Amino acid sequence: MRVCISADQVLNDFLAARSGVETSFNRVPPQAVKCGFGMQGVCCRLCSNGPCRITPKSPRGVCGASPDTMVARNFLRAVAAGAACYLHIVENAAVNLREIGRGNSQLPLKGTGLLNELADSLETGGRDRNEKAVNLAERVLADLYLPRNDKMRLVQKLAYGPRFELWRQGGLLPGGAKSEVFDALVKTSTNLSSDPVDMLLHSLRLGIATGLYGLAMTNKINDIIWGEPQIRTARAGFGVVDPDYVNIMITGHQQSLAGILQDALLSPEAADMARAAGAAGFRIIGSTCVGQDMQLRAAHCPEVFAGQTGNNFTTEALVATGAIDLVVSEFNCTLPGMETVCRQMLVPQICLDDVAKKQNAELLPFDIRETRAIAGKIMRGAADSFAARRKNVTVNVPSHGYDDVLTGLSEKTLKNFLGGSYKPLIDLIAAGSIKGIAAVVGCSNLTAGGHDIFTVGMTRELIKRDIIVLSAGCTSGALENVGLMSPAAAELAGESLKKVCLSLGIPPVLNFGPCLAIGRLEETAADIAAELGVDLPKLPLIISAPQWLEEQALADGAFGLALGLTLHLAIPPFITGSELVTGILTKGLENITGGRVIVDGDINSTVDRLEAVILDKRAGLGL
Amino acid sequence: MLRILIKPELCAGCKNCQVACLAEHSPSGSVWLADLSGGHGRPRNSVELNSRDLPVPLTCRHCQEPECVTACITGALSKNPATGLVEHDQGRCAGCWMCVMSCPFGMISPEALEKKTAVKCDFCQGRETPRCVEACPTGAICLAEVSPETGNNTTPGEAPKEEGLH
Repeated sequence: MRVCISADQVLNDFLAARSGVETSFNRVPPQAVKCGFGMQGVCCRLCSNGPCRITPKSPRGVCGASPDTMVARNFLRAVAAGAACYLHIVENAAVNLREIGRGNSQLPLKGTGLLNELADSLETGGRDRNEKAVNLAERVLADLYLPRNDKMRLVQKLAYGPRFELWRQGGLLPGGAKSEVFDALVKTSTNLSSDPVDMLLHSLRLGIATGLYGLAMTNKINDIIWGEPQIRTARAGFGVVDPDYVNIMITGHQQSLAGILQDALLSPEAADMARAAGAAGFRIIGSTCVGQDMQLRAAHCPEVFAGQTGNNFTTEALVATGAIDLVVSEFNCTLPGMETVCRQMLVPQICLDDVAKKQNAELLPFDIRETRAIAGKIMRGAADSFAARRKNVTVNVPSHGYDDVLTGLSEKTLKNFLGGSYKPLIDLIAAGSIKGIAAVVGCSNLTAGGHDIFTVGMTRELIKRDIIVLSAGCTSGALENVGLMSPAAAELAGESLKKVCLSLGIPPVLNFGPCLAIGRLEETAADIAAELGVDLPKLPLIISAPQWLEEQALADGAFGLALGLTLHLAIPPFITGSELVTGILTKGLENITGGRVIVDGDINSTVDRLEAVILDKRAGLGL
Repeated sequence: MLRILIKPELCAGCKNCQVACLAEHSPSGSVWLADLSGGHGRPRNSVELNSRDLPVPLTCRHCQEPECVTACITGALSKNPATGLVEHDQGRCAGCWMCVMSCPFGMISPEALEKKTAVKCDFCQGRETPRCVEACPTGAICLAEVSPETGNNTTPGEAPKEEGLH
């Protein structure tokens, strides 16, 4: 049976040579036959009269629900679940910041500069750093817990001015974020809302709550705790794994949890423990978005963080190298299939958050007051595993990845790199040296041509046409592992973009890190728009989440649409069963927020269409 | 005589026909209780993608000149002259798999749990409408009247279609 392929040839070869290991790549062909009703979003399981499905002979559900109602309900539920995931992350991060501020944890704050800035700009105040931390965290938590008819207070200060005004006039300002999620579930339950338009507007409110709190605020809190990103060159790919060390692989999205290992693994006790197990020391092996986040902030833990290995669908292969001694997970992108590979390779698993509890993992519930004890247990588990398993498994780390990946890009570091203002970038765009900006974001999946096939193919074509690419999400793992985030990739860009890259010493694809950094891209875009004195939809900028995978991506996408941006997806988000919903998302919405969705599964036609959007927006700015 | 007629252009790929076949041949006969993880064996039909990635339901054609019957050495397989159905007698099956190898459509297989005898579509053993036909939400799997002599479709208004896996 044909196996799914990746854009990453070394990964393909590695998996082909490990025929005894079954990964998601093997499971794609036997799952190739899909249910047409599910794909179009017209299967409804909300009551015992169902599941109802829409066909020419049964155009409505038993209750009378139209395909438009079914699709909108399914879509809003998915966006609400995705929003819930990111809101869970920011809630945990804020609780941790509050407890550090209260003195209930020995963790230091490494980004106090940002804390001071936010205490001023968000007017949360505080006499010292601890009080500032507590105040900020409490204000964030208070907003999350407001009832839905009470609008979140920080939105006005976090959002780009013209957008806030538009959202206010359009009734799009979100109430308490958790209540917005809660009421989305109420709204979409059996025989409640049947209004597709109201449900789509609710999705946009969830998108705003996700973007400003789940994404942007999580970044800020983690920057305060673990230190702000710094631009640096780093190694990426499986090659970062050194089998001489006790290797702890981390998966998830919460550096506010996994980060407690950073300093703990550098302690003298850790060194002794590793030595006693027969290892050179401990290393954190970055994987999925928490690894991208650590890569972004790696200037603050260079000794212990080995580097980022890859995205969601490289995790099973990474365990299969045999060089991983323990998997610590705290959120999603921890594939169930990885558990089988862990058992095969004798790798124990520990979960820090029960929302990501894996069946064969030990649950070690995170508590910011007990970080030393938790880190100690993780170290002990990893060292014991190293001592017990290494003689029984074959270790085979392929030569993979690049050692000159430019990392650490953020809304602040990019601006500083450009000299403290976006003017130089705007000048390059105005002069046509850079035609426009493409934010290539989101997940990886195995169905848009294969693993990262669309993402990598589209990115190559975009830079060839002098469109600079900014990446945030599993797309970063994809693009750094095929060399597009290394300076030499400048050679693959069009003549004008290549010149820019060579003169600045940067690759044509800029690495903003994890999907959470979609929040950083929004701030970057808002900064550029402010410099130009225009609203976001005017910018020659598009977003593409070509290989979106999960519900979180749909919440991110809803944020992009609320921002008024053009959003490309290679696979439809289960909406095509409704002409109305498809019409609003791909056309009608442009008259409300300025945003719209382009669905296109072909790389060349996608890039043609995205380039046309950019040229159109350039013309709108008189360029 | 009735036969199952496949209209691949109507197939939505939902695999409901497989769920129904599995349920029919499970202890309870219920779709609610059928073990979809393999504990009740495998469905006797399938849905495959053709060369254009479109789903096509596959089921036993109860051929006019069945290769499986010709290949069967024990007489477990036979063509019923009255109904035209290709029938399989489990009691006489030796599990030699000659039928499995000879069926050009891959529609007879070793029974998945015991692997001692072959299994194939039994047209739901006299059920008025086979479960897969009943379960198909789009009409891609339907019943057609065929001529006992030629096996050709004689349902009014229904031309035989050759469009299949290729």
